[in-house]
Amino acid sequence: MNERDSFLRRLRSGLWGLPRPAIDDIIADYEGHFDAGRAAGRSDADVATALGDPSRLARELRAEAGLRRWEDERSLASALGVIVGVIGLAALDLFVIMPVLIGIVTTLFAFLLVGLVACLGGGFALPFALVTNFPGFMGDRLQAALLSLGVLGGGASLTAFCVLFTIGLVNLLVRYGRAHYRLITAGSNSRLRD
Amino acid sequence: MDSNLVQFKKGVLELCVLALLARSDSYGYDIASRLSAAIDMGEGTIYPLMRRMQKDGLVSTYLVESSSGPPRKYYRLTEGGRNNLNAQKAAWTDFTRAVAAILELDLEKTS
Repeated sequence: MNERDSFLRRLRSGLWGLPRPAIDDIIADYEGHFDAGRAAGRSDADVATALGDPSRLARELRAEAGLRRWEDERSLASALGVIVGVIGLAALDLFVIMPVLIGIVTTLFAFLLVGLVACLGGGFALPFALVTNFPGFMGDRLQAALLSLGVLGGGASLTAFCVLFTIGLVNLLVRYGRAHYRLITAGSNSRLRD
Repeated sequence: MDSNLVQFKKGVLELCVLALLARSDSYGYDIASRLSAAIDMGEGTIYPLMRRMQKDGLVSTYLVESSSGPPRKYYRLTEGGRNNLNAQKAAWTDFTRAVAAILELDLEKTS
């Protein structure tokens, strides 16, 4: 197998998981590069060495695709994509960030859970408070209704706060990821030769 | 390569691509080989960058039939890209002039 096929194969396997058209598009770029190199009289081995490490290229292309999706569409799936993509970049100081990140995400999740439960509980209790007295509740119906409403509102704002915080956190991660793209240096693809 | 130098180069890479395209439309291999000689970077770096710049609306692409093999993808600077180039160029010139002035000051003191 020659260097061109080996490079393209490693690039393609590194891009696994991206949408099919995106992969084909990227591969076409690099095929064109090899073709142009041949036309300029360079050997495939020479071009492959000058291009750099295909796995590293794939990681960067994947991370960028993840960040893009988040910017186009704010969803839980695309937020996960950002996190996975940034981790895939495997920057060294990630070891410092990782424990902090895990701590923040866990706390956030706990708050989100409390908010959702309060929201549901309040919403569930409110109609009952209007039609009947709660057993064991000391106040009258109005108090019960206001209390339910309060729990509902508190839960909703806590949930909203968590969502906003998550969006801010992922945006920070995007900036962190972009700051960690590296120049891919030539000739670091020694594994191509074996 | 010194890691400081890598950061510098990464920062100016986009500016260099914009400047190259301002002179004439070009294709990936051509941009990569001209820049890799000047900036000493892996040629593969250019494609993630071009992809990013295209999504940012700085460049657009079109295909040109080539005499040998499949059609070539050419990059052209968009209006936004041209504005971006002018802004970055002005910032770069101001910045380098300020840095040069400080370095010169330093030289005079030590000498």
